[in-house]
Amino acid sequence: MTSQQQKSRGTVLNLALFDLFHEWILTLCLVLAIAAVIAPILLLLGLKYGTIATLRDRLVQDPVYREIRPTQTYEYKKQWFTDFAERNDIAFLTPTILPAASIITVKILNSQKTEIFDLIPTGMGDPLILENGGQIPKGNQCVMTKMAAEEIGVAVGDNLSVRVTRNRGGRQEFATAELEIVSILNPRAGILERIYTPLNFVVDVENYKEGMAIPTRNWTGGSPRPYLSFDGIIAVLPQKLDLIAKGNLRINTGVNEVELLANQAFAQITGFNLPTHLVSYHLHNANNIVQASSYRAVKRKLRGKKAIIIPYVKASTFRQSKKEISVFGLSLSPKHLQTLGLSELPWGALKNKPSYQKIGQLLLPNNIEKLETVIETSFAGIKGTLTFPLRIQGKSPSQYALVPIELLATLRTGLQREIIFDDNQQTFLLARGGYGGFRLYAKTIDDVQPIYTALKQQNLEISAKVDAIERIRILDRGLTRIFWLVAIVGIIGGIAALIASLYAAVERKKRDLSIMRLLGLSRYQVFRFPIYQALAMAILSIGAAISAYFTLSLVINLVFSNDLEMGQKICYLPASHLVIATLLTVSVAFISALLAAWKTTQIDPAEALREE
Amino acid sequence: MLKQREQGGISFELEVPNFSLQRGQFVAIVGASGCGKSTLLDILALVLRPDQCQEFYIYVADNKVNLKRLWNQKEESRLAEIRRNLFGYVLQTGGLLPFLTVKKNIYLPIRIKGSGYSDEKIVQLAQRMGVAELLSKKPQFLSGGQRQRVAILRAMTHQPEIILADEPTAAVDKENAHIIVQNFHKLAKEIGTTIVMVTHNHDLVAELADTTFTFKVTRESKTLTRSVCFEATA
Repeated sequence: MTSQQQKSRGTVLNLALFDLFHEWILTLCLVLAIAAVIAPILLLLGLKYGTIATLRDRLVQDPVYREIRPTQTYEYKKQWFTDFAERNDIAFLTPTILPAASIITVKILNSQKTEIFDLIPTGMGDPLILENGGQIPKGNQCVMTKMAAEEIGVAVGDNLSVRVTRNRGGRQEFATAELEIVSILNPRAGILERIYTPLNFVVDVENYKEGMAIPTRNWTGGSPRPYLSFDGIIAVLPQKLDLIAKGNLRINTGVNEVELLANQAFAQITGFNLPTHLVSYHLHNANNIVQASSYRAVKRKLRGKKAIIIPYVKASTFRQSKKEISVFGLSLSPKHLQTLGLSELPWGALKNKPSYQKIGQLLLPNNIEKLETVIETSFAGIKGTLTFPLRIQGKSPSQYALVPIELLATLRTGLQREIIFDDNQQTFLLARGGYGGFRLYAKTIDDVQPIYTALKQQNLEISAKVDAIERIRILDRGLTRIFWLVAIVGIIGGIAALIASLYAAVERKKRDLSIMRLLGLSRYQVFRFPIYQALAMAILSIGAAISAYFTLSLVINLVFSNDLEMGQKICYLPASHLVIATLLTVSVAFISALLAAWKTTQIDPAEALREE
Repeated sequence: MLKQREQGGISFELEVPNFSLQRGQFVAIVGASGCGKSTLLDILALVLRPDQCQEFYIYVADNKVNLKRLWNQKEESRLAEIRRNLFGYVLQTGGLLPFLTVKKNIYLPIRIKGSGYSDEKIVQLAQRMGVAELLSKKPQFLSGGQRQRVAILRAMTHQPEIILADEPTAAVDKENAHIIVQNFHKLAKEIGTTIVMVTHNHDLVAELADTTFTFKVTRESKTLTRSVCFEATA
């Protein structure tokens, strides 16, 4: 493009603007007319947007509407939480404890006033805390609802003394802990008197209430020791049983199979040979494990028959480094061992609740070289690997390594229930089975429905504010339709006014335009004349309309301010909408000007030379 | 050159056997109303296409531009370019744009062309034309004579080769008309521009015109009028 053409382009724009300015009354009328079309549309859009935004806000901002709650108690496995938390529409998911276990007594330090509060677990990202002006508590911190804080009269930074009570063996017991208040939530977070702490504190409270000790908090109590379970029982007798005695062994003992065991099979299981003057029977349950109670029942039934009862766990292996060691569990009194022709064992006969000091022992078979005296051992067959220390106490009389049967029976239980080895307590403990419930928040209110459906498909009884969300959606759809109806009618009117006005202007200015052509402006330069005018008027109009909109929305919001929360507006448009409205107005003006622009190209410069 | 026009079933035919302009000439086209002088001016102004012509040239510097070819090839933008660079126009009632001030009107051809007289020269010319004090006014506040003087000024500020004036004094009283035409003539001679002035008033230009063209109108039939343009001998 030559500089000359550039100059004349500026000339057309200049001429167009000077003309608008010259006819400023007409321009003002048209600008006001277009603004009068746009301003109500903006206002309507603002009202629609503001109303829906306020309603949605109440839903979106209030996490209560994004919560999905279980309505019945059910044991949710740890795995369930891991799996379900993988959904990307979930903002927060934490296990909760049984409702009855969550009641705690709270008092302020150095005060006699006490209150009973509901204890709720929380964790990183909990929207109920974060979106109600709180911060997530850690360690021995807690967050309280407004009601709870007012009830006991505390403020952020105060320390609470928390008392957890339980009834154990008819005795009333209690434990205490100290919690620091890091936040007090907005009243919106709920009217219940609640106290939120990290999940592990809540779980400790539940465990304590169930009678367990919590060593990390110096709360005394029992341990969730794993029970003993066996694959079967071998009964060694001096002579065979008669049919009646044999059948009797199946009654109320928990075993349903009793059969004579060949010597070879005996050696296979135990790793040592049965003395020839003895016989052995294999007692087991084809469908179930054999429990310690079965062992006691069988023992009772065979009383007086000089029986040696050997409960066993079959085919066990310990793994250390890359070495696998076959192990057999055997706990017998010196007398019984003597009968079987075996040397004495360091741990003696079977006890129901043995200490780990007793069961953490091992005798190595002859074929295995000397190992360190203490070996870390893992038991194959348990999900994952369980590691625990064993003391080597000498040589095994069997071809297998020998350990106390209590050890293998404990590990055998681990195939059914998760067990852990607690290094602090030096004991095996039953791991927590699952949780009584959960707290779940969807990311947005639109995610509630799919999560709700997914949980329903798992046959879980749940509740969510799905209806409230749906109502807003229906309202939004309805208002959107009404808005578009009004907007389209308005826009069509605006376009018609603009087209008519621009076209008429070209008709009126025919002579001026033809003079411009005569003076050397090309057809396409003159073509731009009404377009520039339309764009200029569009910009003025949208400016006027936006000003009018702001003024009116200010008034409307002021009128409704009493019914709204801080920061909420009944009439509101985000900046992006205003930018879109501006672009739309300018585009519509451009399109409307095309007819007038085309009309200019039909003007003959020769007309300038004619006088009407 | 031949141009035919038809209106209401009546045809008008203009024949121009020969028409040439020299640099610096003051040429008058004189004739009664309806003789085709405006049609001739349209053709000269490059806004009306002749129907037939043997040759139609304009010399730009030393280049000979074939206007016949430009018309035939419909090179409108090239014609517009020639109009803005080489032509100045004075219309019957001035043809000033009402939304521009006198000053902006005068500068418009310069802006369109991209070059022209310096500001001092224009101010000087405006003083000579007696419109210097009107520069900031809009045309609507000017008298007919003032408008015409501004129009003449506007026609020459971008230093055109040819100024075409169509009855520039039609809306002005006789006395003023004489003064305007004399001024016009004097200025044009000074700056060496060719002037083609169309008028029905022969007396107005009789003393000044270097060459005068006029028309011979014959009514061939009820539906056909023919007009032939020829150079009037002094």
